[in-house]
Parts: sequence; C-alpha cells; structure tokens
Amino acid sequence: MTATQGFQEAKISTAPTRQKPRREGFSLLQFALLLLFCVYSLLPLWWVITTMTKDNSQLYSTFGLWFSSPSHFVDNLRTLFTRDDGIFVRWLINSIIYAGASAVGSMLFAAMGGYAFSKFNFRGRDSLFNAILATIMVPSTALALPIFLLMQNIGLINTYWAVILPGLVNPFGLYLMRLFWDAGFPTELMDAARVDGASESKIFWQLGLPLVSGGLVTVALFSFVGAWNNFFLPLVVVNKDTLFPLTLGLSVWNQTSVSSGQDPIYTVIVLGALISILPLIIAFLSLGRYWQGGLASGAVKG
Amino acid sequence: MRNRATPWFFLTPFLLAFTAFFITPVGYALYLSLFIKKRSGFGPAKNVFGGLTNYVRAFQDSDFLHSLLNILLFLVIQVPLMLLVATTLALILDSVKNGFAQRFFRTAFYLPYTVPGVIAGLLWGYLYSKNLSPLNQITGLKTDFLSSGILLFSIGNIVTWTWTGYNMITLYAALQNVPPDIYEAARIDGASNWNVTRYVKLPLLRPALTLTGIFSVIGTMQIFSEPFVLRPLGYVPDNITPNTYLYLAVARDGNFGYGAALAIVMALFTFILSGFFLRNVRGEA
Repeated sequence: MTATQGFQEAKISTAPTRQKPRREGFSLLQFALLLLFCVYSLLPLWWVITTMTKDNSQLYSTFGLWFSSPSHFVDNLRTLFTRDDGIFVRWLINSIIYAGASAVGSMLFAAMGGYAFSKFNFRGRDSLFNAILATIMVPSTALALPIFLLMQNIGLINTYWAVILPGLVNPFGLYLMRLFWDAGFPTELMDAARVDGASESKIFWQLGLPLVSGGLVTVALFSFVGAWNNFFLPLVVVNKDTLFPLTLGLSVWNQTSVSSGQDPIYTVIVLGALISILPLIIAFLSLGRYWQGGLASGAVKG
Repeated sequence: MRNRATPWFFLTPFLLAFTAFFITPVGYALYLSLFIKKRSGFGPAKNVFGGLTNYVRAFQDSDFLHSLLNILLFLVIQVPLMLLVATTLALILDSVKNGFAQRFFRTAFYLPYTVPGVIAGLLWGYLYSKNLSPLNQITGLKTDFLSSGILLFSIGNIVTWTWTGYNMITLYAALQNVPPDIYEAARIDGASNWNVTRYVKLPLLRPALTLTGIFSVIGTMQIFSEPFVLRPLGYVPDNITPNTYLYLAVARDGNFGYGAALAIVMALFTFILSGFFLRNVRGEA
C-alpha cells in the first residue's frame, strides 16, 4: 500500500528533529502520487480541449494531445450550432429545463419533508424515514421500466413531464435536509415563535428556511447534477429528438456517426461534450463550499 | 398546543411524488413480473399469469447470471481499488498545508465527476479507439482497449476516473470536520504520523467510508451509460452489465414481465450486497 510507505517514510524523516516535530509529514512520494492522479484526472479533459481545434481527418493524423488550428474550432462551433436545424441548442435548453425543474422541485419537497421529520414527533416517524431512505437502493431501471408503462397509460410519453416528474423525488435530498434542519434550526426558536403567535407556515417559510439556506443550495445542486447527467430515464420515456437532453442527443449523434460511417462529426461531438459539462463545472467552482458541506454532513452521520 | 396534522401537511408534497414515482412503479413492477407472454396458435402473444415463472427463468438465464458475475468482479476489484486510492489521496491532501495547492488538487480530482457518465463513455470511447488513442500514438502500439479480454477493465477505468475524486472529496470533507485538538492530543501523547493516521484518522473515516462504499455498491449495480455508448464502437456484449442486458432484452422483444422480474432481482441483489457490506464494515469496529 503506497500510502503506508509514504507515511512511514515521513515518520523516519522527522525522527531526528523530535524537538520541533512537523505537524504532519509530507514526503516527495506523497506529492508524486497527487501529481500522478492529477494528470490522470485532467488528461482526458485536456484531450477534449485540443480536439476542438481539429477537423475529423486530423483526429487521426495529428498528435492527440496538441492543438491544430483555431479555424477548425470556429468550424466545429458553427457545425455544432447549425447541424440538424440547430437542434443542439434545443437539447441544451431541454437539459436546463429538466435539471432546473428537478433542482427546484426536489429542493422544495425535501425541505418541507425534512422539516416534518426533524421538528415533529408523529407516529411511525422513524420507520417511515428509514423506509424512504432504504429506497435509495432500488435501481433506476427497476423504476424506469414501470414508469414508461405508466406514463404511456396516462399519455405522458414523449412530453417534458415524463422526464420532469420522476426527477422531483430525491430521498437522499430528504435525508440531507433533515440533517440541516436538525443542526440549523433550534427547536427553542420554534417554540419561542409559537409563543409569540406565529403561524406554522410563517415559522417554516420566514423563520426556518433562511437558516437552512446552505442545505437548500446543496440539495438543489445535487438534484441538478443528477438530472443533468441522467441518461436512462430520458432514453426510455422520450424518443422524439426535440425532447432529448444533451446526454441523449450527443450519444445519438455519436451512434449515427459511427454506424453510418459517412460524414462523421466526432470533433463536433467532442466540442458539444465540453459545452455540456461547462455549466456543471461553473456550478461546482462557484458553489464548492456547499457540496463539500453536504458531503461532509452526509458522511458524518452516515 | 401544536396541531397533529402539521407534520403531515409538510410531508404531503414529498409523499405524493414519492408514491406516484416510487411506490407505484415498484408495485407495478412486482405485479408485471408475475405475467408471462404466451403464444397460442398463430395469434399475437398474450400476457397470462405465470406466478414465479419469470423469476425461475431469471435464475436459469445464463446470460443474466453472467452479467451479475461481471458486477461481482467490479465489486471485488474496482470498488476496493477506487476507495483505496480515494482514501490515500484524501489522507495526503489533508496533510497538505499550502492552501493554493490544496484547492488546486481538490478541484482537479473533482472535475471528472462533473462529466456525465454518457459523456465520459463517449470521450473514453475515442481515447480507446485503436487508431487515434493518444496512448497508442505515444507507445506506437495498436492496443484495442475494447477487445473482449480487457473490455471490463476499460469500463472499470471510466468508472474509476469519474468517481474516485467524488469519493475522495467525501472522505476529505470528513477529515476536515475533525476538531484539530484530537490530533493535538495524539501528538502530546507522542503518537507518530503513521499512528495518527492508523489509530485516529482511519477510525474517524469509518462513517464516510461506509457511505462511499454503499453508494459505490449501488452505483456499480446500475452501470449502464458507459457500456451502452461504447456498444457501437466495438464488440460489447449485451449482457456486459445487468442493466444493459435488461434494457436491450426489453427493447428487443418487449417482454415487460421478464424485464420487471430482472429489475426486481437486481434490486434484491443490491439490498443483499449493501446489507452484507454494512454488516462487515460496522462489525469490524
């Protein structure tokens, strides 16, 4: 185990200077490991950036990890946004609709539900909570298949609703919100507000929610990412290309490029892939402290 | 006095959505799984009640069992390896004192997680291509990463690339939440770096490891997008994972009853594996 070696090495190296021990050992080996994994994580993304500047034949003829020409980048960009009557823009908007609705909806539902579990004692509370949490283990396929048939029965197949509605349920979000309510909104504050005559809905909306805003952002972010990345559900419930999210659209483009063999647009797809992940990168870079907080609170109690 | 109905008022939206898109589909799947397609004479196949026939068929379906075996291989090799690397990186990163370096590595490790599984599959599909893989360009070899011998490892690599950083951040966040005086106390008692790691940090990581482990088990059971987008590029068998097998089987012959039974077997499998995992992790303490 490399970590073990690293830490043992660090121990030996600090041994002679017992008087003034370094707080934590940090060896060259550890730094090398960080660097190595950094390269592994970033290299495919670097390849994406260099590939944007190539046309399809250069994909094979030039070195994969270096740039080609800015003019090809412009060509790729033009093809991406104009091909099939600019359907890529439609996919982008669809992804934003699906992920946005899931983020707002599941955040609200989880906030309200988590509040009930955190602040009220009612019969069957704990068993209900555990039952909901256990459903995290149900594979999405087990749901998508019957959801397809149910949607078909009520005529929602090939509509936005078919993707949006199932995305409103986020049991893990409910679990996180309960933790945030436990920690962020003291029961004494609630009782004091009741004594002052505040209504239950005022206590929730005006007094409570602002105190758990960190949790709201966390749950919204997780739901957004989950819906943005979702592939299986849209694959099953929509087959009109005007309703595709980015994930489904790009994979269909790729499939036709491979199978038809003529006029493949791989470098355009790669550019599309990069554009499809940009919103998530921006969200994570700007809201980083929320997801880390969310992961930490989930992990501490988990 | 508070009203007894108040908590139920707050629970209603979630429970309604949960019932409609969780309980109902699961119940419907259970119901569907009891029906088999039967053909009599020349007419179209009819759905008739078949009891547990579909389940018996699932456990005799060698293609399906093979896909479960692939998943077991993932659980034995890919998941432990990924969590080992994630834990190692989290421990190292926790001891980096330079704020900029820490932020830089954290972000770099995390970036792959922002790539949706399908997109990751697409990108690696190109990187695996015999004719344009940079790895082949550098080494001068013509490795086919999608040939049957190493296909499973190639898919494992995509999953590892996407999820190691995510797991690392969870573990790292748990380490950062530890009050510094615990380390201080250990130091005063004369504990070495290695001892602090082994006897203080690792036990503190247990809940986070349990969480990442459970989510890895659940996620592994559901691998679909990566092999699915690799299919046009090379020879990827239909039953590479249970999910691809189920989807392709239903898409091909529309046998929803059998598909539902497979989905339920998978759900039970996930429950058993997660329970097994939980018991072993918790029991060790």
